[in-house]
Amino acid sequence: MGIFDFMTGRKKPTPGEVAKERLKVVLAHDRLKVNPELLEQIKTDLLAVISRRLEVDEQHVQVIIARDDRWDKLHADVPIKRQKISFEWDPPAYSPSANALRGNKIRVEVERLEDE
Amino acid sequence: MDSRVITITSGKGGVGKTTTTANLGTALAMQGKKVAVVDSDIGLRNLDAVLGLENRIVYDLVDVVEGQCRLRQALIKDKRLPELYLLPAAQTRDKNAINSIQMEQLCQQLRQEFDFVLIDSPAGIEQGFRNAIVGADEIIIVANPEMASVRDADRIIGLVEAAGKPEPRLILNRLRPEMVKRGDMMDVADVLEVLGIDLVGIVPEDELIIVSINKGEPIVYEKRSRAGSAYINAAQRIIGKEVPLEEVEEATTFMERLRRMIGFGPPMAEKRVRS
Repeated sequence: MGIFDFMTGRKKPTPGEVAKERLKVVLAHDRLKVNPELLEQIKTDLLAVISRRLEVDEQHVQVIIARDDRWDKLHADVPIKRQKISFEWDPPAYSPSANALRGNKIRVEVERLEDE
Repeated sequence: MDSRVITITSGKGGVGKTTTTANLGTALAMQGKKVAVVDSDIGLRNLDAVLGLENRIVYDLVDVVEGQCRLRQALIKDKRLPELYLLPAAQTRDKNAINSIQMEQLCQQLRQEFDFVLIDSPAGIEQGFRNAIVGADEIIIVANPEMASVRDADRIIGLVEAAGKPEPRLILNRLRPEMVKRGDMMDVADVLEVLGIDLVGIVPEDELIIVSINKGEPIVYEKRSRAGSAYINAAQRIIGKEVPLEEVEEATTFMERLRRMIGFGPPMAEKRVRS
């Protein structure tokens, strides 16, 4: 079970599972003296760094500190914005389009539409 | 054999430290070990009552430390087992009546006479707790499978490590298999995952424990009690015997119980617990 499953509403937890997930978070916070403010600062810092390399969907970023198997860990769920991709297309000689497009270089731009 | 001083602590109050101390002590004595159980909950003594020895107290822990009496005079022999002794807490003092150095010296004295010294720690993390662990070779944490208790247990683990003691082990007490089945209670694996320490016993919730405390007769004497057998098994593991972990699932219906008896039920957990 992923650490973000309950938060994103993918699964409805039982009270036992709720207790365990709450404990994983509160124990890490207790040990490391983390408060919500600190978490926000970490999140902002992280986004600044990652945004330099990748385009990030800042609205949907989640950062949590939780215990995972004897270690207290920082988990970040960082959705990357869907990119436009483009490529040059050279249709094979025997295809119908080849005659129609003969002599022209084709550039194709593909953009995936948001499905939300 | 080298003496072992074991402190039973928890952080949170009311989870079963005193009951655990009384029953582990009794079970170890049943195995032929010479055992002293020490009530270090000064001001709120209860170990005496759980053992049914409350009207035999003449001297207590503080009297010994202050030199009012010799250790032998304060030790109370158990009603049933000649190798089990209680050193009671003082009732009219508080936890600052003795300091860590005195407690450590007391533990040293007790080591000379006993195979096992079990110290019942008070709840909390203050002087009483510090005194209870200072002379310990090992620490056992009692926790209930419930959020608040586990949270406090984690804090205790941190404090025990900071005090330079070995990693504590866990007795998970007051487990309710029905609630676990419904998903309302965490199971053993959940608690172990979160705390990350080794397990030495699983004790189920048992109404008979209340009866045993009221009567002053430790539950390990009650053959019908699963909590009693759980404590006996935990004591075995402490001595170093390999005992498979208790099966948590209740056989809830007659048919299930029947099936198990004739070998069609789920097998006993094969996990071995380290000593």
